[in-house]
Amino acid sequence: MAAPVRGMAGSISIGNTTSFQKKTRSKLVSIPGTRPSVQNGQLLVSSGVSSLDYVIGGGLAVGTLLLVEEDRYDSYSRMLLKYFLAEGVVCGHELFLASARDHPDQIMQELPSPIVDDVAGMKISEGQSQPSDPENPDTMKIAWRYQNQPKVQIALASSVRFGHYYDVSKTMEPELRQAAKCHSFYQLQETPVTTGSSLIKVFVKTSLYFQVLASASKVRNVLRLGLHSLGSVLWGDDVCCKDNPAHCHALTTFLYILRGLLRTSLSVAMVTVPSHLIQNRAVMGRIIRLSDTAIALESFKGSEKETNPLYKDYHGLLHVRQLPRLNCLSCEVPDTKDLAFKLKRKQFTIERLHLPPDLSETVSRVSKTELAAGCGTTATGNKHLDF
Amino acid sequence: MLLYNVIESCVLQGAEAGGFILIQDTVKCTGRGLLKCFINAALKRGEDVHVLGFESPETEVCAGLDRSCVQKLHFHKGFPDPLGWTRRSSFTVERFASQHITQLFKDTQQAKASVLVVDSLSLVLRHHDPLVFCQTLQELRKGGVIKTIIGLLHSDLHQQGVVGIVCYLASTVISVAPANNECHSVAKTTRRTKSGKVMQEEEYFSVSEDATLSVQANPRQPGHAQKERDVSEADPTSNLTFNLRLSEEERKAKQKVALPFVFSQEKKSALLKPTPGSGRIVYKPDANDDFDEEDPDDDLDV
Repeated sequence: MAAPVRGMAGSISIGNTTSFQKKTRSKLVSIPGTRPSVQNGQLLVSSGVSSLDYVIGGGLAVGTLLLVEEDRYDSYSRMLLKYFLAEGVVCGHELFLASARDHPDQIMQELPSPIVDDVAGMKISEGQSQPSDPENPDTMKIAWRYQNQPKVQIALASSVRFGHYYDVSKTMEPELRQAAKCHSFYQLQETPVTTGSSLIKVFVKTSLYFQVLASASKVRNVLRLGLHSLGSVLWGDDVCCKDNPAHCHALTTFLYILRGLLRTSLSVAMVTVPSHLIQNRAVMGRIIRLSDTAIALESFKGSEKETNPLYKDYHGLLHVRQLPRLNCLSCEVPDTKDLAFKLKRKQFTIERLHLPPDLSETVSRVSKTELAAGCGTTATGNKHLDF
Repeated sequence: MLLYNVIESCVLQGAEAGGFILIQDTVKCTGRGLLKCFINAALKRGEDVHVLGFESPETEVCAGLDRSCVQKLHFHKGFPDPLGWTRRSSFTVERFASQHITQLFKDTQQAKASVLVVDSLSLVLRHHDPLVFCQTLQELRKGGVIKTIIGLLHSDLHQQGVVGIVCYLASTVISVAPANNECHSVAKTTRRTKSGKVMQEEEYFSVSEDATLSVQANPRQPGHAQKERDVSEADPTSNLTFNLRLSEEERKAKQKVALPFVFSQEKKSALLKPTPGSGRIVYKPDANDDFDEEDPDDDLDV
């Protein structure tokens, strides 16, 4: 059911912003915090970050699994998990959090606080309008109608507001947090077994309990699951330390069972995996195939890209590895694969990485000599063969 | 300055308890000097320090430490017999498990904070399963008895995956490497705070005889900074057979030309104001429109 992003050759979607909303005629019970997707009618929930919702096709479909490959020091993937859980608290969904390294209560205490201002007002104030002014060197004389447009459309946004904004510098009020029902699972308190058995047991208990409750009370709600650093050593898997791990089947079986359980209930799961530690690339490939939506975060901290002037405004790159095809033949592919993210205080923005055009004279010459050196002999060959 | 900060604030307040500082070294440059600085700083703060010495004798580790605080230091002899073959050691590698180590601390629990220093985690890793080892470390960190764990790891003795997972568990990783001049070494410190912020720094340091650290300024980044190639742009309007330049009068005349669609200031500003929301379609059905309220898809059995 899932398609890799690279395989889509003939997808159209250039401008994805549309203000049409699907008219639903009360066939679907409306659950707070969800909306039907414009493309295929699936019920979507917001992931907490509105630009991430845009990149993965409007939001997370209920019943699917989002896989996040962690960055090297687990700073931004942890932030995404916190946004996901905070969105659940604000929308009134139920939460389930499982982690091995840090206690779930500690993660819950670090949730960012929601900004309650009007989102539309914030958007207007961010795009500062410059009245045309002859003294201002930025104003254009002839094309003045375009002077408030950005030079390149880099911000990704849809015109329909869905999801909330959070302030990272403040943590969520304890009253707001305690109003949400949260189940947690901390690996240290259990006897050390491999991932599959212990987590499955707990999750099955929770989901069955939840479904029984829901069918009894006729109030349907969405359950959001957050699983932090699945596959790391503390979960009891040796996927990260060996080339031929003995426990890789436990991890993949768990993901398969988890996805099956998600499909039969109104749940959404976000799983973060430390993919930079996994030695065997085949295992990572299997994990990606077993999830629905897969993204990877690559932060610039500590790598040589930090000093690259191209990346100076951003904190890292976002790679979309896979998007799901749910009950339809094709999926919504974002029109560019070069995405970069930055974490500001009030927003986690994902933008198109915009390369300025290289106008120097030596550009085309350099590429031609490289090509000639590749297939000809380099010792005596004529490097200046220009066609 | 990061190295100083890490050593001085080795045991922070209760909120950051459970820190794990990892010193990574190789055969080219040893990290044992840095380990001694940590021990010295902890002793000066009056903390209980337990050292599991598997790779070096007590005399070597305690040489140069401050005489007055040595009674807070508890050395558990593992060298020269870490596996206990000749039964001369008080703590063997097999006993590296959370219940034994916690027992050690409970026997001598007096001071306000306890620090565990492991002289070499490499020896422990060679004789224990990495999974069990990481589980033990995690239990020790969260157990509440030990405030900080400081370990020395020889990164060239293990596979990359194993080194990776130990670094993943650590809150601070210090990698030492030899520098160009012999008396100094380079330390690359990566510190991860609880809030997710990551601080990184590379510094020259040297350790003196009495286990004090001296840190020099940051080393130059070799070969990373790409110098901007100054392409001197040639003036394109020179050396032409026709004239592309403007004289002063010609420039003034050009600016005086009235452009079409030149509006006054107020009209321009009014046109430039952003309108909220996107387009709306307002449709007024007239008499000819047959507006049926029923949804034609209603009879579909979907």
